Order: sequence, then C-alpha cells, then structure tokens
Amino acid sequence: MGRIIGIDLGTTNSLVAVLEESGPRVLPDPETGAALLPSAVAFLPGGEVIVGARAKALAAERPLDTILSVKRFMGLGVEHVSADDRRRYRFAERSEGVVRFVVEGREVTPPEVSAHVLRELKRWAEAALGEITGQAVITVPAYFNDSQRQATRDAGRLAGLEVLRLVNEPTAASLAYGLDQKDEGVIAVYDLGGGTFDISILRLRAGVFEVLATSGDTRLGGDDFDERLAELVLAELPEPERSRAPVRARARQAAERAKRALSDAERAEIALGSVRRALTRAEFEALVEDLVERTAGPCRQALRDAGLAPEDIRSVVAVGGSTRVPLVRRQMEALFGRPPLTDIDPDQVVALGAGIQAGILAGGRRDMLLLDVVPLSLGIETMGGVFTRLVDRNTTIPASVKETFTTGVDNQTSVDVHVLQGERELAADNRSLARFKIPICPLPAGVPRVEVTFLIDANGILSVTATDLRTGRERSVEVKPSYGLAEEEIERMLEESIDYAEEDVRQRQVREARVEAEMILHATRESLAREAGLLADGEGERIRTAVAALERARAGEDYLAIRDAVETLSGETEPFARRIMDRSLTEALANRRLEEL
Amino acid sequence: MQAAEDTRRECWKCRAEPGAALVCPRCAAIQPLPPDADLFAVLGLPRQLALDLADLERRYHAASRAVHPDRFQTAGPRERELSLGASAAVNRAYRTLRDPVARGRYWLELHGARLGDGGPQVPAPIAAEVFETQEKLEELRTAASPELRREVEALRARFTGRLGVLRDELSALYASANGGAPSLDELKRRLSEIAYLRTLLGDIEDAMGEGLRGTDHRH
Repeated sequence: MGRIIGIDLGTTNSLVAVLEESGPRVLPDPETGAALLPSAVAFLPGGEVIVGARAKALAAERPLDTILSVKRFMGLGVEHVSADDRRRYRFAERSEGVVRFVVEGREVTPPEVSAHVLRELKRWAEAALGEITGQAVITVPAYFNDSQRQATRDAGRLAGLEVLRLVNEPTAASLAYGLDQKDEGVIAVYDLGGGTFDISILRLRAGVFEVLATSGDTRLGGDDFDERLAELVLAELPEPERSRAPVRARARQAAERAKRALSDAERAEIALGSVRRALTRAEFEALVEDLVERTAGPCRQALRDAGLAPEDIRSVVAVGGSTRVPLVRRQMEALFGRPPLTDIDPDQVVALGAGIQAGILAGGRRDMLLLDVVPLSLGIETMGGVFTRLVDRNTTIPASVKETFTTGVDNQTSVDVHVLQGERELAADNRSLARFKIPICPLPAGVPRVEVTFLIDANGILSVTATDLRTGRERSVEVKPSYGLAEEEIERMLEESIDYAEEDVRQRQVREARVEAEMILHATRESLAREAGLLADGEGERIRTAVAALERARAGEDYLAIRDAVETLSGETEPFARRIMDRSLTEALANRRLEEL
Repeated sequence: MQAAEDTRRECWKCRAEPGAALVCPRCAAIQPLPPDADLFAVLGLPRQLALDLADLERRYHAASRAVHPDRFQTAGPRERELSLGASAAVNRAYRTLRDPVARGRYWLELHGARLGDGGPQVPAPIAAEVFETQEKLEELRTAASPELRREVEALRARFTGRLGVLRDELSALYASANGGAPSLDELKRRLSEIAYLRTLLGDIEDAMGEGLRGTDHRH
C-alpha cells in the first residue's frame, strides 16, 4: 500500500509530508521544487481542471471559475453563504443542502474542489517517493465541526485516498515542536492561517500530547486582512469598475503582496493598474486591528476551559503564515506574556506534524501519543427546541455517551432525533449535523425504550447506533447529514472521477497545457485586434512571434514546452495587458470625476 | 484489588486469562471490557473516593498507550472496534475521576443515589449574597454601568473562592473517609452546593457577556 502521507490541506496553501528516519520531510512539486501548493482550483472550458500556482495565476482572468479558498466552504449549507461570498463566486440556487459552486456551467461541491488539490499532492508524493500512495492523514482546523470534518474526509475519498485520520492542525504543529524536546509542560499553539484561527492548549508529558482545551474561529484569517487592504484601493475606483470580479481579484492579489511586504518593511504600496495606494505599517495595523483582536476571545476561552492562567503556559507556538504579521505577534505576546516560538517555518509546521502522525499510525513512533478533544459540544434537540448537551466541548476523544429515548404519542412507529453541535441554549442557534429516525415497535406513549449511543471517533467524527432495549435488537439508524454528501452522491462522484484518475498523467498534462494555451491565444488575439493602439514600438512583433511559437508547441506532445511557450507569451503580453487595464481604470476614474463635478 | 476479581474471562485471541487487564498480557490483543467494569476498574483501581491525582494520570496515560486507536491502525476490524470502545471508556474514566466533583457524583450514581432533580436549593451559608447577586444581574442586563460590573466582579470572586473552599472540603472528606466512604447525604449536600455555585457563576459570566454559555467550571 505504500507509505502513509501527511497532508496539510490549507485555505491558501497545501503541503504533503512523510516521516523518515531522520525526521519529517515536506515533499515538493516534482517539476518546480516548490513546497507549497496554492489551494487554488481553476475550472477551464471543456472540463479541464488546473490546480496550484497556475490556477492561482488564472484567478484574475477567470475569477468566477477559479476557486481560491474552498476550505471556507467545506461542510457548509446553502444558507451559510454570505453576500460577500456571492460577490466572489457563483452558487447553485438551491433551497437546502450542501453548498454548490457553479463553474464553467456545471455544479461542484467543496469536497470535489478540495479533491483536486489532494490529487495533486498525491501526485507530488508519488513522484518524490517513487511509489503509489493510498493512505493519508489530513489536518483540519481544531475548531472544525462534524460536517466540516466529514466533508474533508469525503474529499480524501474522492481523491482516491483512504483517510486514516483527521488531525487537528494545532495539535499536529505541537508534534513537530515536541518531537525532540524532552522537557515537559503546558504549551499554547496559536494558529492563524489564511482562513481559519485555532488556539489549542496542550500538556506534554513523557511523549503524551494531551490537548486540554481548544477554541477558534473557522472564518478568520489572513484572507480577511487582504480583503480589508483590497477595499482600500477599490474604494478609489467608481462603480461598476469596483465591483467587477476580475478587478476585485487583482486588488486582492495586490493587497496580499503589500501585506507580505509590510511584515518586514514600514511602508508598502498597493498597485492596481494606475491606481497606487501607499500605506504604512501603522495604517495597515489600524485597518486589521479588530480582526486580530478577535483572536483574544477564543484564547481566553481556551485558557478558562483548561482551568489555567496565562502564566501557566510555558511556551507559545506560532503557526500559520498570518503569524508573520508583527501585530499578530504582539497580540500573542500580550495574551500569553511571552514572545512566540517561531523556530519552525509557520507555513510548514502543520504538514511536518501531519507527517509525524502518519508515522505514528504506521507504528514508527510508538513513544508518541496524541490525545485530542472534540472542539464543540454535541447534543440533541429536546422538547421546546432546547439544546440538550450530551458531550461537552473539550472532551477527550474517542468518546461515547448513551441516551435512552422514548415516545410522546401512542403507537409511534419511529422516534426522530436531531443532532446538533454548538454552545448555545436553543437548538436553532446551533449547527445542525444530522437527523435520523429510529424505528420502534408501536406501543403506548412512554413505554418504548431505545438506547442511542453517540460515538465520537479519534477523528472527531460522530456515529450513531440504536438498540431497542425491549428486544435487545440493534436498530439501524438512517442518518441524513444536514450539510454533507449522501453516500450515493459520493459513489457517483467516485465513478465519474475514475476515468480521470486512471487516465495517464502525462496525457492529462498535455491536454491541460493545450487548454491553457488556447485561452491565452484567444485573449491575445482579441486584445491585438481591439487595442492595437496601445502597443509599444516593436511590441506587436514580439507578441506575434511568441504567439507563433506557442501555436507550434501546442501542436506537439511536450507539455513542458507548451507551458514554457505559454509563460513566454504571458510575459510578453504582461505590459500590454497592464496598459489596457490602466486605461479602463483611468477612464472609469475620469468618469467619476466628471460626475463629481 | 476488587477490580481484579473478575478472572473468568479468557482472551478472544489466544485463550489466555487476561484478568481485568485491557490488553491480554500474553498476546497483547485488546480485550472487551468486562460488562460489570466500573470507571475505577477501567483504570485498574478499587472503588475509592480518595485518589492520588498523579497516580491517576500515570494510569490514564498507560491505559491510553495500550488501547488508543492510533495503536491499532494496522490491526484487524475487531481489534480496531475494541480499541475505539476501550479508549472511549478510558477517557470517560479519567474525565470523571480526576475531578473530585464529578467523582463524587459518579459515586452517588454507583450507590443508586443522585442529586435532586428539582433544581438545587439555595445553600444557606451564602443565601444573602445569592439574592444580592441575582438582583444585580437583573440590573446588569438592562443597564451595565462600570460600577455595577465591579460589584458583580467582586461577588464573582467571592463565589469562586467559596467554590475552592468547598472543593478542598470535598477532598478532605474523601481523604478522611480512609478507604471507607462518607455518608451519601453528606456527599449530596456538598455536591449540591457546588452545583449551585457553578450555575450561578455561569449566569454571572453570561450577564457579563463573556465567553460561551455552559462552560464546565473545572478550576
């Protein structure tokens, strides 16, 4: 079966790692050597799908068909899609069930999109290890609920991976940090990634990593910083320019660059065509201060749940790219009274930990053991819409609890059970996970006794069994996930993806490269025909030469040659494209000024 | 040890007699829990209220190492299923026994007694402060002045202190029982007051607009 791989399936970037004799190692892109795979998936005409850096680059051209932060949508229902989300992507109009993107005219669910990222990582791992891999450990935010975890596991299945374990990201990071440290004590892992925030408090003792408490926010991360910065420059543009998806996508890219620059520099510039907005680090910090402040609540909550004070924490570990932001580091120091540890690359530490956990499961590190917890309380809806808690948050997993149900009406043939997750008093305020019916023998009200067992496995995923206590017979429970994929749907998707998976990788690369070539050739021809006036001296000639070279390469079978030619052409047309965009923005600005006059 | 008395089990895999052990001493196969195993037995302890917490943690870690699903990833389906069940039982045992309050409640349950369902009575020693607090919380919900918050904060500190005292008393009660057990009524009285204080502290937290509802006040 090959080795077990460890995958960090991140909001913005994903990585794959394995545990070797010398320690965990991140496996790079076999072609470019890059360690990080941007979690970007571009859907092209003709059903082609591109993943990673090239997909991310397409986001500005094809913002609606390029999904950049699919993780934010994992395990969500249609009613959780916000107005901001709708401005960014197209969604299928449904009244209920799992959220579905519409890309290139077809519907895809978040697990299907994530599966593309996982397949690419699987390919990287196989190239690096020289063997087929079929089993994986995948990390998830500690604060992911049951639906989000199920969705991640479904994504693994769709990618042809047997997901042996879902590991919480901060816990995985602690494994990487605790690997060779023989000392013991309580640590806090502060994990601010592209889209999610987690805080976990762990006690390390003699190789046992025991999570005491965890908290977080599954919709808070560096992407939100980018969004704020992007708004700054977009505000200088008039409508409808400001709302156009390609302009917004470019603004976000420019904002991300400026944000990164400000981690080291005191000043940076967000450049969107001719619109340039200079800003200082202080300005940036003022802009995102409330977002950073939002991490404080979960930190205090986790400390309280662990029954600890900040001075009980021996060290604070910084995880996730957003912890490079100086303001975030200051926040960590303010919360825990000491500067964070940053010895291990915050972008890689989770993947390295996933690799270690993969090694533990394979029997390679029997000295280490992870004891994790369920992040949110689990319970059921009872009389009057009240949420009755059966498992408290921060209960160590695996965990099981038994509850006995009966009927309220004579001759009922089944009992309905509604399972929810959350901390609120009313059922309606918590996240619905599933509903199920337990069939029973018709008897007078209150007489039937059905014992229901809720079992949370080591992945933090709930399963339910029911026993009729009057007959001792186990009853099958039909669980309808509120925001998940039904088994039949997964089967169908798997069937569809088999053609895809079994197809020769090289052939697929050639086909993808050709589609990319087609797209840029088409765009270039259009621009040349319409905007010839904006060409610089000799530029038209150079572009036409690059077009001809790409057309020749496209006819051949060498996908690397096609990609090279695409890059050359894209490089040649870049200044031209920028001039076209500049002009449209300038015109838009001029119009606004006229209106303002 | 009482826990080791049930020795008529035999290992499903090698037919050795594992006694009350979670894992067969001969072939290391994980064993189903004896049907009558209580949470003390799961961690190899006799039924007793006084526990050494460091020893309890050592037992918990050792049992987890023996039965956690991470150890059975490559085993067959039966062992994987047993591992899941045993691991859940070990976790429940530790969660219940490490906390003197949860341990006391479990003790009541084992002896067929339980705290009253009709909601705990206002404990006499703090009745006056409780009524004062409830009035202040009511006010706080309508108009939260900094001064009022400070007053509630002071009350909270008092109740938290009282909770600490009660917990110490509970531990002392367990220790003084000397292997025997305190009377169930005595145990009930203290546990009721603790339960009452926890609810009250939860209400205060809510009214102060902090955190999530229903925190397990474990300190």
